[in-house]
Amino acid sequence: MAASDSFATEGNQPFFHFYLELWRNDTFLSALRVSVWVAFISTTMALIIGLFLTRAMFRLFKRDDWKFIAWFPMLIPHFVAAYICFLLFAPSGWFSSVVFQIGWLETMSQFPVFVNDPMYLGVILTYVWKEIPFVILMLLPVYQEMDLRYEDVSKTLGGNRWTVFKTVELPWIWPISLEVFLILFVFVLGAFEVPALLGVTFPKMIPVLAYDWFYQAGWVNRPLAQAMMVILSLLAIVAAALILTFSQRWRYKWASRRDDS
Amino acid sequence: MTRKRKLWMRLTMLSLFMLIFVAPVILMFLKSVSFGWSWPDWRPTQFDLRGWRVVFGDPRIFSSLWNTILIAGVVVMLNFIIATPAAYALSRFHFRGKAIIESLLMLPILIPVLAIAMGLHLTMIRLGLTDQVLGVIFIHLLPTLPYAIRVLKSGFDRLKNEWEEQGAVLGANSQTVFWTVMVPLMTPSIRSTAVLVFVISLSQYVLTAIIGGGTVSTLPMIYYPFFTSADEAVIASFSVLFALLPIMFLILFEITLRVYLRVIKRP
Repeated sequence: MAASDSFATEGNQPFFHFYLELWRNDTFLSALRVSVWVAFISTTMALIIGLFLTRAMFRLFKRDDWKFIAWFPMLIPHFVAAYICFLLFAPSGWFSSVVFQIGWLETMSQFPVFVNDPMYLGVILTYVWKEIPFVILMLLPVYQEMDLRYEDVSKTLGGNRWTVFKTVELPWIWPISLEVFLILFVFVLGAFEVPALLGVTFPKMIPVLAYDWFYQAGWVNRPLAQAMMVILSLLAIVAAALILTFSQRWRYKWASRRDDS
Repeated sequence: MTRKRKLWMRLTMLSLFMLIFVAPVILMFLKSVSFGWSWPDWRPTQFDLRGWRVVFGDPRIFSSLWNTILIAGVVVMLNFIIATPAAYALSRFHFRGKAIIESLLMLPILIPVLAIAMGLHLTMIRLGLTDQVLGVIFIHLLPTLPYAIRVLKSGFDRLKNEWEEQGAVLGANSQTVFWTVMVPLMTPSIRSTAVLVFVISLSQYVLTAIIGGGTVSTLPMIYYPFFTSADEAVIASFSVLFALLPIMFLILFEITLRVYLRVIKRP
């Protein structure tokens, strides 16, 4: 439905003219840039921190009761997480107060702008906090199923910590890490709730811009909003295809390993 | 690693976890019961329940609270009804095009909900589903079902076929096997599905706004305008209410589950 509207033509304009128009639209381009930036940075950070935490905790604890602490943010809706981020990082927030008490600040305005900033740092922080539990949730079963004897092999053969990680853990975790990365990346690109609260009026993130264009009076920009959503959806389908191929290859590897034993 | 050092590492990591994941929520709770806590106090000086009184004094909140719980509850139930057979089939049977169906079921997680909502809006207007609770329930199924199917499928994957066969050998029909063998063994998956779906349904703003068209008022509909208001204790109380709902749901669900298991285990 949205797709067909976005292809609609008037007179003798080319079939893709809304897409061409979008490509020349500076508002869209800056929205795209900031969206990709936020999605890439927050997903990468969540993945790296989540991986580090999973590795550390999995080695330290035999039982996995600790995971319930890590899953706690999953119970919190995204916009409440955004509010917590605001509470902590706003110029009038808790960190600003603490820094003032230490004596590094004299006024509120000296505190660096973390929320409602054009770099979307607040949005990134919120997403990282919300997505780390998801990363742990996905990675932990893989670590629990991993055969740690390979680690001893790698160590006896003289591998340092990085080699051990690279040869033992990485082959196990990279397919699932890629899947997590793609899911989160596409989710952040398309989610409206957090940037609507912690964003700025320019540049807007794509979902906020799309909502604005779709529901503003006049309906002039409606096809543009739809074209934007079609682009995002295509991106999602490509991501799904990638996930499918990789996870299947992985499953194939698994099956052959089981047959060996 | 010596034992003492390991213990230290454990304690450090646990406190780090508490600090990252739980402490911010506690700060929010303190904010909601504090009075006149503003910059640059790093801790509350006075406590007061004014924020909570304002939240519960607002008549819109009660009806929205009811709407939210109703919608989320029905969405959870529908998810179980639809996702259980789908997950079972995907886990137990091998058929042509299974991989494609599986990835098609993943798509609603990946395709932005905004795109789906914009696409479905006109269709739903034609069907007369907009501006009413039924339509909102329907649209909330989109972002929740893929997760429900995924979690339940991995639950079925872990549950070996032999348990069902054992039940069947002992003379139970497939329904009895399902209710007395599979459900008790699947409780972890069932619990995660219920909570996940509840939280996702609770967090929807834009879908409810589009399909509900402003007539269906859920808590997020009121939350967004509140966010810009200057009264910090009130927003904090409202946010804590949001965090409390899934926790209360989890407790209620757990009790139901326990009662069910006890009834089943009775000789």
